Amino acid sequence: MSGSTINAKIRTSGHRPWIREHAVSFAFLAPAAIWLLFIVIYPTIDTVRLSLFNESATKFLGLTNYKTVFSTDTILTAFRNNVIWVLIFPFFVTTIGLIFAVLTERIRWATAFKALIVMPIVFSTTASALVWATMLDNSPQIGAVNAAVLTVSDWFNPPGAYPVSATAGQTVANLVGSNAHAEKNSSIVSNSSARAGGMIDIGLEDVSPTTLALLKAQDAVKPQPMSGAITGVVWRAFSPSDPTNKTDILPAELGLPILRLSLVNPQGVSVATTTTTTSGQYKFSNVGTGSYFVELVGSNFSSGFTGISWLGGSSLTPVSGLGQTAQALLSVPLADMAMIITYLWIWAGFAMVLIGAGLASLNREVLEAARIDGAKEWQVFRRVTVPMLAPVLAVVFVTMIINVLKVFDIVLNMASGSSINATPTLAVEIYNDGFTGGVHSGVSSAIAVILFLLVLPAMIMNLKRIKGV
Amino acid sequence: MASVVLRNLTKQYSGNNAPSLEMLNLEIADGEFVCLVGPSGCGKTTALRMIAGLEDVTSGEIEIGGRIVNNLPSRDRDIALVFQSYALYPHLTVADNMSFGLKLRKVPKAEIEEAVQSAAKILDLVDLLKRKPAQLSGGQRQRVALGRALVRDPAVFLMDEPLSNLDAKLRVQTRAEIAQLHHRLQATMLYVTHDQVEAMTMADRIAVLNLGVLEQYGTPRELYNFPNNQFVAGFIGSPSMNFVSMRINRDVERVYLTGMSADSNIKVTLTDEQSDILRKSDCSDIVVGVRPEHLIEESIDHAGFSAVAEVEVIEFLGNDEHIHATSDDTDLVAILNAHSSVARGDSITLSAPHDTVHFFHPTSGLRLN
Amino acid sequence: MTTTAQTSDPTKRRHLLRRMLPARGPSNLVLGIIAIVWLVPTVSLLVISLRPEADFGVSGWWKALLDPASLTFSNYRVLFDQGFVAGGLLDSLMTSIEITVPATLLVVFFACFAGHSLVFGKWRGRDVVFLTVVGLMVVPVQVALIPVVQFYHELGNLFGLNPYGTIPGVIIFHVAFGLPFGIFLMRNFMSGIPMDLLEAARMEGAGEWKVFYRIVLPLALPALASLAIFQFIWVWNDLLVALVFLGGNAHTPLTVFLYDQNHELQANYWIISTGAIVSVIVPLIVFFSFQRYFVRGVLAGAVK
Ligand SMILES: Nc1ncnc2c1ncn2[C@@H]1O[C@H](COP(=O)(O)OP(=O)(O)OP(=O)(O)O)[C@@H](O)[C@H]1O
Ligand SMILES: [Mg+2]
Repeated sequence: MSGSTINAKIRTSGHRPWIREHAVSFAFLAPAAIWLLFIVIYPTIDTVRLSLFNESATKFLGLTNYKTVFSTDTILTAFRNNVIWVLIFPFFVTTIGLIFAVLTERIRWATAFKALIVMPIVFSTTASALVWATMLDNSPQIGAVNAAVLTVSDWFNPPGAYPVSATAGQTVANLVGSNAHAEKNSSIVSNSSARAGGMIDIGLEDVSPTTLALLKAQDAVKPQPMSGAITGVVWRAFSPSDPTNKTDILPAELGLPILRLSLVNPQGVSVATTTTTTSGQYKFSNVGTGSYFVELVGSNFSSGFTGISWLGGSSLTPVSGLGQTAQALLSVPLADMAMIITYLWIWAGFAMVLIGAGLASLNREVLEAARIDGAKEWQVFRRVTVPMLAPVLAVVFVTMIINVLKVFDIVLNMASGSSINATPTLAVEIYNDGFTGGVHSGVSSAIAVILFLLVLPAMIMNLKRIKGV
Repeated sequence: MASVVLRNLTKQYSGNNAPSLEMLNLEIADGEFVCLVGPSGCGKTTALRMIAGLEDVTSGEIEIGGRIVNNLPSRDRDIALVFQSYALYPHLTVADNMSFGLKLRKVPKAEIEEAVQSAAKILDLVDLLKRKPAQLSGGQRQRVALGRALVRDPAVFLMDEPLSNLDAKLRVQTRAEIAQLHHRLQATMLYVTHDQVEAMTMADRIAVLNLGVLEQYGTPRELYNFPNNQFVAGFIGSPSMNFVSMRINRDVERVYLTGMSADSNIKVTLTDEQSDILRKSDCSDIVVGVRPEHLIEESIDHAGFSAVAEVEVIEFLGNDEHIHATSDDTDLVAILNAHSSVARGDSITLSAPHDTVHFFHPTSGLRLN
Repeated sequence: MTTTAQTSDPTKRRHLLRRMLPARGPSNLVLGIIAIVWLVPTVSLLVISLRPEADFGVSGWWKALLDPASLTFSNYRVLFDQGFVAGGLLDSLMTSIEITVPATLLVVFFACFAGHSLVFGKWRGRDVVFLTVVGLMVVPVQVALIPVVQFYHELGNLFGLNPYGTIPGVIIFHVAFGLPFGIFLMRNFMSGIPMDLLEAARMEGAGEWKVFYRIVLPLALPALASLAIFQFIWVWNDLLVALVFLGGNAHTPLTVFLYDQNHELQANYWIISTGAIVSVIVPLIVFFSFQRYFVRGVLAGAVK
């Protein structure tokens, strides 16, 4: 009672005013506070206002911009891409981070390994995107990934000696010069037939001289007829001195080596096979009765596997026959996957470091107790380690969701001409709508507000976590 | 050098129910060494921090050297504080730690150098001046913390449990060093501890706090011989004083005490003077207190206090042994000579002379004799 | 007796270890392969930048690994010989530095001050301010772009100083969006500094400013290093902010240089790869010199 009156007296007489008492403290906070207020807080609020106005922020439109957002195919595409990113990336990056963190626990060179995996985080996403665009290039002379894919696929499906270049629009029919025609199964069959002792010559054109040089082709020489056999020559029916003459074997015209031939009866059944010599000659001996055709089998012209167009416009889900909006909502561009792979390369180190720290701080004795209780290594991992790591995994997961919602640089730098309309994300759309060709604030702001709302749950989770600490 | 006067000093933390310190009145004379003791949470640190200017005063006054300092910032109070954690700046060397305050005050370099050197000499820190705190042992850190206070040559030294982080042996040694330092400097010192042995051995006067209230302020001898109340009596002295509740019987011709049960094994006889006091008191029960060191194992005639007790635990300490025994369901502790042949389970008689027996009011706890 | 005991002891321990950490051999192999895979893109970039321009697209860069003698610095020489022409590589490098260094220093300063205030100040509402800052950490940059552009123009109208299209304009924006993380980091670190130290300093006569720079700042140095590295890398690698706020400026940072080369100019890849190496080398140096602080920063909550 009396205490409180004394109390009050001293308060009023003795204490400096609140603001003066904390003046220094406020001065310390001021620069940051002002900065945040003007460049973060106020603009965030203003964006909400701008999203309700027209593109030049002069006329109030209500929710019109939001309607536009949800009825424009390109923006719906962006939504879809964000969904793809959010569904795929956080899960994989957390998993990879976990695997790396666990594996590095057991090796001596863990520090070096970790440094190597973390390294891409410090690269600009722009640089990383450009590197990976090159890695994933279509051409096996540029893209290491396709070069590797080709090497493997050639093992199982080797290309022929005379591949036709489908990308250049070439077909087997283009190769026919004289006395032959192309069949549906990409083989070439002679027009003329012969009996034992007869001859069939076939002229081809449009064969690359570099291929022939590589195969050490020699001048074509017509062989002598042989009894009981069908012989002939397959040659490159092209001579600069007489370009239109395709039927005669002119001097300096080259034979086509190592072509695989088969002897077929009129019913189309192959009865014998052989290969041409370096001067293009061939011989089928011991030919039975009846007349036969010569077939240059299709595998001679197979180009094998040509690589994956990672950054092209193709979709992983079938979309042909769908309307524009349905396509926007349902296609899953392969280019998205290429970008996600790149992003995994960048961020796996981050996940690994965080999860690794979580692992290091686990109570070893609990793991040992589980082992003593008879758990196998995998069971220990599955039933003890992972549950104990759950908080860390959640942090990584949430952080990566936030990160991926804002994904921008990688799309801008990796999308090729054919995938540029398939890959934009919300962040990219905000930029495209807002800043290309002058500033347009309406729709861009509406998307920004939506993006903000999307990160809001993550923000709340962060706040809860930090408040709890 | 300066005196310190606290008047009705009160501290109420917002959000707490009871005040952490209530109406504390204390005078510390110039050059005096005063210990503030009390159990954990009684408000010792709070009092010290208010004197140091680290905590706002809720009400009351603090006077240092005749000046009311309530609203002065710490740096203008001419005091030095030795923290329990030492609070050495980890990024500075020992020398820089000690000279930090002087440099802030723009004291000339030569003077600083001299102050640091002389403090280092007193505290035996000369060889450690270039080291960082992390490279020091606990005792050395403690001395640096003292040294930092010393070079400042403050009017008042404040120390908050400066020895509590040291091991037992080092604590005894440093205790002596601080006492010596005080003699040498003749400085005013206020020393907070929860260890009554420290307080007894070092202080000129001791202030005993309990639950934010000052229980007694006096010399160690006064506190030991004439504790104001049961709390102080129990707090000062180790092991604690034994307390036994008894019933007061007031006959026409005399006053005598009986045990709480009919067949009590505890007997207390009263001197005439004691009888007079008890006769005048308003209560029907009384708390009798006897210090363990005053009990002896033999029945003496005309003993003030005597009890037949069964020995339960014997703690052998070398020279002495502490006997824990029960009598009438009351635990008694006695310090006996280690040569006594008492064994567990024995039934022994413990007695103490009249002048060592204390009487306390059963509800207020105040001393009656 | 004793000798056998001595020899058997370590082996026993090794057996125990092996049981607890099984499968070391396969781990080594798997991680070895992963390490190589992870390194390939970086190596490819480096090799392409060192190959003669004419080889690109003719043969894969990996062919050059068999023929190291074919590598040359000519790409670098060509780009460096251009000197500081606007839009050139060296000019972009300079611009990157001009943006990154002030944006980093300002964030570090302001975050230190603010952290001190939030930890050691005694005013009410500190917690609310701090939680606001935590909330701001995840605000996407995109949300503020248009209003800030307009705000810049407004400044131009009012004071004749329009930061839009200028390097200070980019810096101001980066500072703002670096602060939440910076304050978060500094506050968390500083709250581990014992209050006793500050009180001791105050008692010895230090004012708030002295307490700050004599006690708090030196002790917060590790966190300060983490923050500086983070902010440096963040700003150095930014593309979006520079694209938006430097529109029309002849001097652009390296990220915009790369972006332009790739998009507008359809440049040969030798310029891109060389430019990318130059852009990556600075953060790499920072990373390898201060790896410990970088990792600490990641752990302290890189939630940007
Ligand atoms: N900053 C604070 N806010 C609220 N209550 C406090 C604060 N500091 C101390 N108290 C309370 O005030 C009371 C006295 O605390 P104080 O620290 O003075 O005890 P003490 O006597 O120094 O104890 P110890 O021997 O354990 O150091 C305690 O109940 C404590 O909980
Ligand atoms: Mg205390």
